[in-house]
Amino acid sequence: MASVDIKVAIQAAPFAMAYGYDDALAGRSDIGAVVSFTGLVRDFNETPEVTGLTLEHYPGMTERTLTEIGEQAWQRWSLQAVRIIHRVGYLAPGDPIVRVLVASAHRREAFEACDFIMDFLKTQAPFWKKEHSTQGEYWVKERHSDQQDAARWRYPS
Amino acid sequence: MQLTHLNTRGEANMVDVGDKQETRREAVASGRIFMQPETLKLLSDGELPKGDVLATARIAGIQAAKRTHELIPLCHALALSKVSVEFEIDVVESCINVTSLCRLNGRTGVEMEALTAVSVACLTLYDMCKAVDKNMHIEAIQLDSKHGGQRGDYQRLNAHTPIVTGEGVAGEVSLGQRCSSPCVRVKFLAELRERVGESEAVVSLDQLASRDISGLKAALSARDERFKQLTDQRTLCAINQVMANDDALVTDDDEVAFFPPVTGG
Repeated sequence: MASVDIKVAIQAAPFAMAYGYDDALAGRSDIGAVVSFTGLVRDFNETPEVTGLTLEHYPGMTERTLTEIGEQAWQRWSLQAVRIIHRVGYLAPGDPIVRVLVASAHRREAFEACDFIMDFLKTQAPFWKKEHSTQGEYWVKERHSDQQDAARWRYPS
Repeated sequence: MQLTHLNTRGEANMVDVGDKQETRREAVASGRIFMQPETLKLLSDGELPKGDVLATARIAGIQAAKRTHELIPLCHALALSKVSVEFEIDVVESCINVTSLCRLNGRTGVEMEALTAVSVACLTLYDMCKAVDKNMHIEAIQLDSKHGGQRGDYQRLNAHTPIVTGEGVAGEVSLGQRCSSPCVRVKFLAELRERVGESEAVVSLDQLASRDISGLKAALSARDERFKQLTDQRTLCAINQVMANDDALVTDDDEVAFFPPVTGG
């Protein structure tokens, strides 16, 4: 098996839409598929007019949790690179929040691993969103559907 | 609990400390003086008519600590081994945070000395700046911590500490306040921080009926009603940044965080 190539980053600054792509592929010709997911700030969520949001996290635990999620994906599928970046601080509608990139020899593994990482990032990584809207600000509630999505990956017992 | 400065007839009474053991005692107090941003700028640029404001206020605070027994009727005269007065200029809030530490080896506590140093340092700041700003106000003069003595350590829950975002280094457990006796450092994150009104607390291991998370929750709930929401089933917990449940053990210097369900991505 190839050596583990997982990188995670937390930052307040914006990241490029192609973040991780060149870095993951540099000098390699064994990668056959790259799947990436980018999450953006919507201008509607719990209220219709969201003007921005503030993301808080738990420094240290956040990086560790994201690395562990990447490692779980690495064990489960045959992967060649994993890149995870997540922003914190103030974000405006349209801003990218998170990007997960997975490289593999074949597309199915890259698709599944990327989906898996996002499901666990949303239910395990210590981030919290506070939305600012025209009606005031409030902390975003967790979604039952996110828990159900993460539960899909449980191995049958 | 009895007030030691009153005798059985309710009259003022100076406590006889002759039989108490000498121990090392330390107290930290703080306060804030708010002023106009223009005043703060003149002060930090050294352009106020009365000269070096902070140096003068520091000396005033130290002198005041040494003379506390002359001001507060039932205080003993103490041979302080250390008095410091520090200033931190806060441009965002337009105020100066004043902190004093007093220490001695002796038979009584030094919190009155630290509080007096902060009070007089604040008053001196007011006096030095009042020519240009009469709207200044002094607030939140308070004891922050106290160590040594038979009643044990005291640590104020810190309401002014900034939110946890941005502190700490990736992959490392960030170190908050330290304490002299075995303790755990507790953090409250995100919505939970706002609901309890605190970002950090320090709990001595001696205060825990059981040295686990449920014991910690019970000790905090006993300290203040607001912490009862820690027992809400939705509240999550991590010890040294690893998820933990109620029966997980806590040991000295652990960092315990309580937080609501996560909502990232």
